[in-house]
Amino acid sequence: MQHVVVDPITRIEGHLRVEVTVDETNGTVTDAISSGTAWRGLELVLKDRDPRDAWAYIQRICGVCTTAHALASVRAVEDALGIGIPLNANYIRNIMAATLTVQDHLVHFYHLHALDWVSPVEALAADPAKTAELQVAILNAYRVDLKVPNEVVTEAYPHDFPAATPQYFAGIKAKVQAIVASGQLGIFAAQWWDHPDYKLLPPEVHLMAVAHYLEMLDKQREIITPHVVFGGKNPHPHYVVGGMPCSISLTDGNAPINTARLAIVDRAINMARDLVNNYYLPDLVAIGAIYAKAGRVDGGGLSKTRVLAFGDYPLTGYKGTSSGGYFENLLVRSNGVVENFGAGVQKAVFTPVTAEDLKAPEIITEGVEHAWYEYPDNAAKDLHPWKGVTKDKYTGPKTGTPTMWETLNEGGKYSWLKTPKWKGKLCEVGPLAHYIVIYTKAAKGLLPEPTWAEQMMLKQIEVVSTVLGVSAEIWLPTMLGRTACRCLDAQLAAEVNKFFFDKLIANIKMGDTSVMNNEKWLPDTWSPDCMGVGLYEAPRGGLSHWVHIKDGKIYNYQCIVPTTWNACPRDDKAGHGAYELAMMTTHVAIPDKPLEIAKVIRSFDPCMACATH
Amino acid sequence: MEKRESLWEAYLRRGFSRRNFLKGCVALTSLMGFSTDMFSKVVEAAETKPLPVVIWIHGHECTGCDESFIRSGAPLASDVVLSSIALEYDHLLSAACGAPFEAHLDETIAKYNGQYILAVEGAIATKDSGVYCMSGGHTFTHLLEKAAKGAAAIIAYGSCSAYGGIQAAKPNPTGSAGIERFVGGKPVVKVPGCPPIPEVMTGVVMHVALFGTIPPCDSDGRPKQFYGNRIHDTCYRRPFFDAGMFAENFDDAGAKAGWCLYKLGCRGPETYNSCGNLRWWQGMSYPIQSGAPCIGCSNSNFWDEDPFTDRLPKYGKLGDVDKIGAALGVLTAAGVAGHAVASIVQRNQRENLIDEDHHE
Amino acid sequence: MAIKSVKEVKRKEFYLFSPFLRIFHWIMASQIVVLFVTGLLITKPMNVGATEPVFTNTSMDLVRDIHFMAAFILCASLILRIYGFIINKGDRLFPRFWEGHFYEETVDVALHYMLLRGHHASFLRNPLARGSYAMLYVLLAIEIFTGFAMYLMVNPSSTFGKLFGWVNTLVGSEMMSHYIHHYVAWFIILFAIGHFYMVVRAEFMEGESEISSMFSGKKILAHNPKDANELD
Ligand code: HEM
Ligand code: HEM
Ligand code: NFV
Ligand code: SF4
Ligand code: SF4
Ligand code: F3S
Ligand SMILES: [Mg+2]
Repeated sequence: MQHVVVDPITRIEGHLRVEVTVDETNGTVTDAISSGTAWRGLELVLKDRDPRDAWAYIQRICGVCTTAHALASVRAVEDALGIGIPLNANYIRNIMAATLTVQDHLVHFYHLHALDWVSPVEALAADPAKTAELQVAILNAYRVDLKVPNEVVTEAYPHDFPAATPQYFAGIKAKVQAIVASGQLGIFAAQWWDHPDYKLLPPEVHLMAVAHYLEMLDKQREIITPHVVFGGKNPHPHYVVGGMPCSISLTDGNAPINTARLAIVDRAINMARDLVNNYYLPDLVAIGAIYAKAGRVDGGGLSKTRVLAFGDYPLTGYKGTSSGGYFENLLVRSNGVVENFGAGVQKAVFTPVTAEDLKAPEIITEGVEHAWYEYPDNAAKDLHPWKGVTKDKYTGPKTGTPTMWETLNEGGKYSWLKTPKWKGKLCEVGPLAHYIVIYTKAAKGLLPEPTWAEQMMLKQIEVVSTVLGVSAEIWLPTMLGRTACRCLDAQLAAEVNKFFFDKLIANIKMGDTSVMNNEKWLPDTWSPDCMGVGLYEAPRGGLSHWVHIKDGKIYNYQCIVPTTWNACPRDDKAGHGAYELAMMTTHVAIPDKPLEIAKVIRSFDPCMACATH
Repeated sequence: MEKRESLWEAYLRRGFSRRNFLKGCVALTSLMGFSTDMFSKVVEAAETKPLPVVIWIHGHECTGCDESFIRSGAPLASDVVLSSIALEYDHLLSAACGAPFEAHLDETIAKYNGQYILAVEGAIATKDSGVYCMSGGHTFTHLLEKAAKGAAAIIAYGSCSAYGGIQAAKPNPTGSAGIERFVGGKPVVKVPGCPPIPEVMTGVVMHVALFGTIPPCDSDGRPKQFYGNRIHDTCYRRPFFDAGMFAENFDDAGAKAGWCLYKLGCRGPETYNSCGNLRWWQGMSYPIQSGAPCIGCSNSNFWDEDPFTDRLPKYGKLGDVDKIGAALGVLTAAGVAGHAVASIVQRNQRENLIDEDHHE
Repeated sequence: MAIKSVKEVKRKEFYLFSPFLRIFHWIMASQIVVLFVTGLLITKPMNVGATEPVFTNTSMDLVRDIHFMAAFILCASLILRIYGFIINKGDRLFPRFWEGHFYEETVDVALHYMLLRGHHASFLRNPLARGSYAMLYVLLAIEIFTGFAMYLMVNPSSTFGKLFGWVNTLVGSEMMSHYIHHYVAWFIILFAIGHFYMVVRAEFMEGESEISSMFSGKKILAHNPKDANELD
């Protein structure tokens, strides 16, 4: 047995350490530890603040999934105070949310995850002419035409296509060569480039992917422009409780939003659709198909046992999450839990997540058995977030010193993440969960009159299954499935953007320019004691913010974050979390160069600042 | 130490023409707010100075600052990272991880001792010896001290690194602080903002890369070219402020007309940042332009200067200081009147006593 | 009768205040009122209520300009008041807290004001008043420092900007300067209410010719004041 530590895990957000015990005779991982190694205490910072400001503070949980926490926060506060938001505000928020999803997934794939699959070193062996041919072949083979609403066609033709000329790829190759020759490898330094996994793909795929890595680094900034138009900046655009701050006027030249500004958003949305359709999806499928054919369908972990999602994109300006309004008209009704998907969709069990479940004291809870926190002596082992307590209790490592670790103590506390539970059980969340829930619901006839988005999701799964040559039940709950569903989610979100943009335009055309409900702006209109919850199906999965407001101030604020669900420490009764189980179901070829461990962890797109907050 | 290449050489190696190179320099000159007579200096600097090594470390942060950095439009982040600097260590972009990555850090520190730029994102957690922020099995404090020692220049990216940021807001559970006091007295270039504007972030690195020196800074260590003005003094809504035309509520007629957001709590009047002049996405917008009052995200203590939608803090049912002051004023006046009456009564008693004395 | 009994007493005249103190007292007093009113209007501007940028007396530009003009007049007055302080001993009656009797006398006067003691010893300027004026000058100094630390930051790199920029660093942030400036303004106004009462009270009830002294420079007192030696 070999004990392997990977710390820091890079190309993620925040501070993550993993430890695995590998049986070097067969490459199986017998135990795994996932530890969030930094904690900032932001839930405590919110105490006694004005709930109308909460979004600004709590958005700083994460700058990668920026907007996610602001959105969940305004939704939670509006739920507590009983505020319904105008239609336009709902549309704009949905556009900002879906914009984040596209951009975050795309950046994850190219800039955070790609170097686990492709290598600039391998790219040096590529023939630029052949790479150009490959590019054309891939575009022809993997361009997927899906039925999407796209009611107002504003793009004359797809503007953004990957270059497919030998000269272009020769230029990229020369660039990579020069960097390697200079000896200053920069961001490419010190990776396990000699790992056999990098030999799975032909050199031309490597070169093509490296080229797209660079191109997408330049383009991703343009995808996110809707945040800049509606929220003034990115990361961390501005929000307001009750709607959006970006007033719309078609008669005032100085208005935040007018036709010209909407045109910027429109352009960004179209560009995002093109980038996903012409780069992201073809690249993903091209790489994925080779891995699937090589039988690399490991790393499924908890997704085979239990996944959870909250669903998203309210179609109208709903009121109340804990009173049910949120779930009533979702574009994607993935709110629920699927258990036992690994045994096949027929044996899988679906349980919805309802408004009643959110309020029930024992359905959604958090425990701290192996986390560096403590609950009051008289408190239950697992606390509902409205009653949640954040009190740190650092106990140090198993070996080493409190400030210099050798190994962490899996028998005791070892992470700054709490352990979230659904009915006392652990769940995996994320785009994979989102897709598994919709797929299962559809298979079981639980998806009456599927929305266009749900139909699109089912179609996407079908298409990818065909291309990969394996059934959905096989490829979905794997490391590859996680990465693939993120891409599908990006493609969906790009169309969701377009859908809500068209709705926004239609509504403004009807004469409605309102973006704000001021009725309950003033604290004296608030109930002196109220609680709320805000949900958002964030890029990394189901996010929930829980607020308790007393006498106009925040009395308690708790966040249960996607990466908290996935990267949490174990619970002696409930078992391992998603990260730990994923590592324990991943084959490691060379324990000294645990590329597969880093890869399976990155398939979750870890966000540790999110997770520990 | 082996010879490091200059920006010009980097351009040559990547097959750029001198014309392209000059174009790049012109763009940089105007981006950095220099007059054109600085242009020749820019060219000279780019041709002779070696390509700097950058080590970018992360403390208590949200990675919003890296995300902002890679959103830079001019220069493009790809150009910066692949051509202008050698980014040898960065948690967000580096390919490597774990032990080899940490070893590479030590090698880089040793090899470029006294010559690398240290970019720090995030606050330092000081409570309990820094156990709230661990990386590679060590505290961030340890990492910061190690990396600061051999740095030629230190850049504090973001309000977290410059001043402590969000985690240092009350009650500051982890004792977080800005990095300045923990870098062994080395001068720190502060690039605050939550996050800073992308082109401000790349602009500071480019300044170092081009001129081989840190940009001219104010007494707080902020580059003057980016933090030399208040947003209020550069805000396109300022004429409405001067005229007394304010949005009273979100989305009211004034808000739709783009009037000043002062009455909704705008912190522009005390915020030093390039939001009013450079703006975000190369002039596209900034919070105020999108209808949102500035929260002062580049200021040293802005998280504890809430509530953000008011100019004055409120004390529960007592209201703000104007309400309390007015009440105290009325109370004082009443007290004074009472005191006057009591004084007159007392004096009359006294006078009577004196008069009685005289009669005797 | 009260007045009669006062008149019976033989009185002595003391020349105290130079014209510098007197003139600039009145100028400063009026400017402080202007500064306070315009200051509050700066924090909470009145709604113009117009959809056009019309000339109104609530225009921020105008209100701020009046504030700044008053601020400059206040500062100029203060400087000239300081000149009086240098040339005339009567302008210099500051709290002598390094002298033991200062505290006993303060207690004496305080007990009188608390209506617990019928009389207090006679002073040119009683120790409580001295303390309160010193306090007021401290408050004014805070207003001036924080005021200029905001006013001059249009160009922080300028000479004057550097002269006052440190204030914002000292208090933590420029927003903090706003808060301090605003809170201290209220303290000044609370002082003014009390001050106004005390001088009227002293003039009409104690026969200490307070108000008139601020015009004539002279105090006409019945008893030999304990601090008379400070004029020598
Ligand atoms: C007794 C003297 C003064 C009083 C009572 C006073 C009162 C005030 C008040 C209440 C405010 C509003 C503060 C806020 O909430 O932002 C203000 C603002 C201001 N005052 Fe004064 N002030 C005085 C002296 C000065 C002086 C000497 C200056 C020096 C130039 C000055 C400059 C300013 C400035 C620059 C502002 C901010 C204006 C703005 O933000 O637009 N003040 N003053
Ligand atoms: C109608 C109103 C006022 C009257 C009749 C008045 C009268 C006087 C008198 C008689 C004195 C001298 C007291 C002594 O020497 O013991 C004095 C001193 C003073 N008053 Fe007033 N005052 C008035 C308003 C104000 C106001 C509004 C302020 C400012 C807030 C002010 C600030 C001062 C100061 C600072 C002194 C000390 C003089 C010095 O040492 O320079 N006064 N006032
Ligand atoms: N986990 C997480 Fe986030 C996301 N997506 C949060 O809601 O990344 Ni920073
Ligand atoms: S300054 Fe703001 S954006 Fe940057 S790391 Fe800190 S919280 Fe994130
Ligand atoms: S919107 Fe803010 S920064 Fe702009 S003029 Fe008004 S107060 Fe100043
Ligand atoms: S909130 Fe920050 S981004 Fe600019 S407008 Fe204000 S400084
Ligand atoms: Mg939490």
